[in-house]
Amino acid sequence: MKKFTFKKGIRVPHNKITCGSPLTECPAPSTVYIPLAQHIGKPAVCCVSVGDKVKAGTIVGRADGFVSANVFSSVSGTVKAVERRKTPNGACAHVVIENDFRYETESLPKLANIDKDVLIERIAAAGIVGMGGAGFPASVKYSPKKSVDTFILNAAECEPYITCDHRLLLEQTECVLKGAAYLAAALGLDSFKIGIEDNKLDAVERINAIAAEKGMRAEVILLESRYPQGAEKQLIYAVTRRKVPRGGLPADVGVAVGNVHTAYAVCDAVVNGTPLYRRAMTVAGAVERPSNIWVRTGSKLSDCLEFCGGAKADCVKTLAGGPMMGTALDHTDYAVTKTTGALLLLDKKHVETSQPQPCINCGKCARACPMNLMPMYIDAYTLAENYGEAKRYGALDCIECGCCAFTCPAKRTIVQSVKVAKRKIKELGL
Amino acid sequence: MRQTVSASPHITSNNSTRKIMTDVLIALVPCIVCATVFYGYHVIINLVTCLIFCFVTELLYSLIKSKNRNKDGVKSSSVKDLSFAVTAVILALNLPSVMTVSAWNITAYNAKGGVAFSFDTVVLCALGSIVSIALVKMLFGGIGKNFANPACTGRIFLFIAFGGAGAFATVSSLFESGATTGATWLGTRDLVTGNDLLNMFLGNTGTAAVGETCVIAVLVGYVYLSARKVIDARYPLITVGSVMFFAMLFDVVPSGHKGTAFFYDMLAHALSGGVMFGAVFMATDYSTSPNTFVGNAIFSIGVGLITALIRAFGSFPEGFSFALLIMNLTVPLIDKYIAPKPFGYVKPIKEKKEKKEKKRKQPIAETAAVKEAGNE
Repeated sequence: MKKFTFKKGIRVPHNKITCGSPLTECPAPSTVYIPLAQHIGKPAVCCVSVGDKVKAGTIVGRADGFVSANVFSSVSGTVKAVERRKTPNGACAHVVIENDFRYETESLPKLANIDKDVLIERIAAAGIVGMGGAGFPASVKYSPKKSVDTFILNAAECEPYITCDHRLLLEQTECVLKGAAYLAAALGLDSFKIGIEDNKLDAVERINAIAAEKGMRAEVILLESRYPQGAEKQLIYAVTRRKVPRGGLPADVGVAVGNVHTAYAVCDAVVNGTPLYRRAMTVAGAVERPSNIWVRTGSKLSDCLEFCGGAKADCVKTLAGGPMMGTALDHTDYAVTKTTGALLLLDKKHVETSQPQPCINCGKCARACPMNLMPMYIDAYTLAENYGEAKRYGALDCIECGCCAFTCPAKRTIVQSVKVAKRKIKELGL
Repeated sequence: MRQTVSASPHITSNNSTRKIMTDVLIALVPCIVCATVFYGYHVIINLVTCLIFCFVTELLYSLIKSKNRNKDGVKSSSVKDLSFAVTAVILALNLPSVMTVSAWNITAYNAKGGVAFSFDTVVLCALGSIVSIALVKMLFGGIGKNFANPACTGRIFLFIAFGGAGAFATVSSLFESGATTGATWLGTRDLVTGNDLLNMFLGNTGTAAVGETCVIAVLVGYVYLSARKVIDARYPLITVGSVMFFAMLFDVVPSGHKGTAFFYDMLAHALSGGVMFGAVFMATDYSTSPNTFVGNAIFSIGVGLITALIRAFGSFPEGFSFALLIMNLTVPLIDKYIAPKPFGYVKPIKEKKEKKEKKRKQPIAETAAVKEAGNE
């Protein structure tokens, strides 16, 4: 089978040690803290009050405005409080629910007929967001203003360590494919493509078998295992050879992309009427039992960690997400959200802690940058506080994939500089 | 449990500046060995002198600049990345094995009349090292900030300052019969025979710099550096290719040689002088070469052009190091104007064209235009 890829990028060690461990249910703790901002856009508005009885799947936060998403309770029990708590990126209101361990569920009504508008409505009602990490409300994403002719299911999962999408594809193949078909239908299409890296050949086999059995028009596009294959613009280029214009959206070239887990959530919401309150997550790295787990949103990361046997003693860094783009956490008392795809612990051996050295102008970063930028100059101009020049070298086009900093022999923190530059350019209105 | 918090990415490749410099040093080993075999122990003396003086200069400079002049200062000094060693080795290999300044008269001769120990060579090596490291590299901000190749500039300094005193006379290699080799092919431009070419390839010829003698050793280094991805394998090929091309235009064609002599002349231009050594080890220096492929191609072609011009019309028989130094000056400009277009770059449509197109075709659908641009 021919393999496709984008230009440039890097090879990273996969470290997908958990790809053989099946998804197991992580028991919910006695108290869950459900953040009302689990997506990009406005936080949901709390619609329960203290003392209310809720079930798993009861709406606790209503979407506020167009770019927002509903939030649901993940357990049955009593609302204890609505309080502001810290999240890795700031703080937001959390609904605190005491678990009664009865797990009564509340579902959305069954759909009579399935068409475009009904699907979008259901996606919005179930609070589905892009579960690859960005958390953009799916109902907005899949009703683009421009007509779309291709839907790509993003099964690349190019980040090292993370395997939850791989497990979903293996264990819930039919549901994922059905969900992808629903997403394609919501866009007015009757077929879709699946972009998958060549390190998941067992999943490819499963997909082909199930698609043939169910008569689904799914075309598997095998991609090279190269980072960042799963980045939206790079995936679109690898699969369709179309380039998303600078500052544009995938719909500008007639493409929509959806994550594996998003597709699964859509299928669950359409077929079973289950809103989005639980997700698959990979716990890997320096933990006693690295594994893939089903976790209810609002559980603390420390609960997941405990379920996996706890952290090893030499763990120095805790990440929400993968090692290339994940957020470093100062502790694990944060709540799991709809977009927390991985909890990764890194020990001293795997973490880069040395101080940055002077740039030697080797150009490795420019050769690795999938966006074809010159990261060394963005870094240099940002440090010199010349943000206009940093913008000229494409600071705003950066997708923060981390290829430049990964490959840098002087261990410069290039992505950090780019983040500063982006913020400053916005602040100064350059 | 204390947790480190930092911006992503959290893992990096196991590459480092020190590893790259070590790779370059390993690639230089064949050249050092060949130079020692051809020119004897003088090469080792020069090498050690350069290493010591480069090391001491860089360490002293960073200690003077740094606030803590103690063990910590030494630990945090830039000598750890080994780039001083690369400069030192390249400089030593760029010099003749013995540089006698006749006016000083401090060379010890052995019974047979050959040079036993040349103290003036040591002095010149030390001077060259200090100029390379202090003046060219450290004063401009250390590794990565220098605009000119340190070793190349150090060599040119010695060449200009002491060349007149006879220090840069061509030295014959140990294997050559008789001590009266005189000038290299670049000095004489005799008719080249196949045997001459073979001698040039093997290094059985007199040169003004010990490192560039044996082309085989340089090629071994080239293959190693390319395989380790320290240098891009294409750049030295472009440099050598353009030297041959422009030498053909300016030197070989006017000389009127035809047939095999025509090609032999072109090959001789590539094989003699510092072209091979310089193209592999000096023109590929990170800080003094552009960062993009197109930029680097322009840089390499420029080096080839100026080398050929100096060889054909200049007052020196060999011009590679001058060419390199001149092209080093253009690197910031090249990097400023030859930046790659970001992924998904759409050419801004010029207003004039738009008006014309509007006249021709009534309204262009904006989406179609964007789609087209995205599809290319």
